[in-house]
Amino acid sequence: MMKTSDPKEKSLITKKDLNKVFWRSFQMEFSWHYERQMNMAYVYAMIPILRKLYQTKEEMASALKRHLEFFNTTPHIVTLILGINAAMEEENRLDKEFDEKAIDSIKTSLMGPLAGIGDSFFWGTLRLIATGVGTSLALQGNILGPILFILIFNIPHVVLRYLFTGWGYKLGTGFLKKIQSNGMMDSLTLGASIIGLVVVGAMTASMIDITIPLSIGSGEEAVTIQSILDDIMPQLLPLAAFGIVFYLLKKEVKPLSIIGGMAVVGILGAWIGIF
Amino acid sequence: MILQAVLLGVIAFIAQSEYALGTSLLSRPIVTGLFTGIALGDIKTGIIMGATLELAFIGSFSVGASIPPDVVTGGILGTAFAITAGAGTETALLLGLPIATLTLILKNIYLGLVIPTMNHKADSYAEMGNYKGVERMHLIAGFGLSLMLALIVSISYSIGNNAVQSFLNVIPEFVQTGLTVATGIIPALGFAMLARLLINKSVAPYFFLGFIIVAYLDIPITGIAIFGAILAVIIVNIMNFTKKNEQSAQTTDGEVLDDEDF
Repeated sequence: MMKTSDPKEKSLITKKDLNKVFWRSFQMEFSWHYERQMNMAYVYAMIPILRKLYQTKEEMASALKRHLEFFNTTPHIVTLILGINAAMEEENRLDKEFDEKAIDSIKTSLMGPLAGIGDSFFWGTLRLIATGVGTSLALQGNILGPILFILIFNIPHVVLRYLFTGWGYKLGTGFLKKIQSNGMMDSLTLGASIIGLVVVGAMTASMIDITIPLSIGSGEEAVTIQSILDDIMPQLLPLAAFGIVFYLLKKEVKPLSIIGGMAVVGILGAWIGIF
Repeated sequence: MILQAVLLGVIAFIAQSEYALGTSLLSRPIVTGLFTGIALGDIKTGIIMGATLELAFIGSFSVGASIPPDVVTGGILGTAFAITAGAGTETALLLGLPIATLTLILKNIYLGLVIPTMNHKADSYAEMGNYKGVERMHLIAGFGLSLMLALIVSISYSIGNNAVQSFLNVIPEFVQTGLTVATGIIPALGFAMLARLLINKSVAPYFFLGFIIVAYLDIPITGIAIFGAILAVIIVNIMNFTKKNEQSAQTTDGEVLDDEDF
């Protein structure tokens, strides 16, 4: 499973070069644009490797052009692909027979699957936990809220980003094929979805705030509508709100229209005196 | 006043530069709310408004090629106008959302026309093997956007403050109440967007599990997250165990799963 390049050829890329790639990879979304998305940032991160490997103008030009093609993946773990590409560029430099197209095709074929697992883990799970913990403190005005928000997200993020640089370089192209074939990718995605959904469910119960204080009946007999609802199930209205919005999103209603709808419901409700 | 406008611009610049700092979530309202509070001398209100805006904007993050409403300007200006006007959190939201949407228009022009132009410049540098030129295009493109958002925030804050004040004065009471109610419901949108990202038939019950536990037992989110992580490990293990039994005839190549990052 290790990339076994011919032992007589010594490797040109050092730990230091890979560290430069790691640091430069932090800018992966800095120059994002609609036409080719992360392409300029990808070249920017690869340049320390390319400078090390290619001295002639022609070689450098062809390598730069190669990496200016369209690119997009989860930015936090892009270092996996950068590492693999670094190993391939090195091989390209050492082996005259090497097909340069392979560098591009590996890059293109990996960015999709990596984004699939990366987006659901970083955006779905990790950010969600950070948001849940951070906002529940910050809503009370606690300064730990924003601080924990940043730490919970970025400690795992930077550790994984760093580890993936080395793994990508060492394991070369065999890596993702391997984890895809023994189902590890599915397991990771499933696990991440479970954590994410448990937290979304929890946040639905604790952070959506709707109550109907209006009471019916009079005098001693008066009960608020809210207390009737609470007897059926606590937090029933937040769940209903979640369900309605979920349904609307499925029907492809635009998020901004949904927010507009909420404002209308709130204002009308306040006008007739429900809220 | 001018000092504050400049400070808010600096905050916007740093926030947008999260994309040079590993997409580290510095641009999120929960973070910019804190700094806006510091700049305007009301830290606690800043944090609370930031958290509320965070929940409202929770569904607003970029996956793939879609660019969401701009949380940098929406978060900072929404919070700043509300604090300066001495108004409540619903005002931050009332102002933040349209600002974020308006900025998105300018941002789309920048991302759709300006950077691609620089990209073509980078192409011609690449043609000549000039890696320094390529690097320069990347950096200019990135810092240009940070600068643009910083200017939007500074200018809007300097000229918009009085307008916002008089605008708020004419809004009737029940509209304000209604918007406060809407502020409470809006997180439902974010949660639903996240759920859509994660959900399919086989994992849907976990949403209700999380909901029921908190609705009846009122456990803090941190506890729920830990519970969810343990549950995920158990489920994945069970699933792999059954799968392994099914294909026990085959030779399996190892326990790669056990030491993964849960």
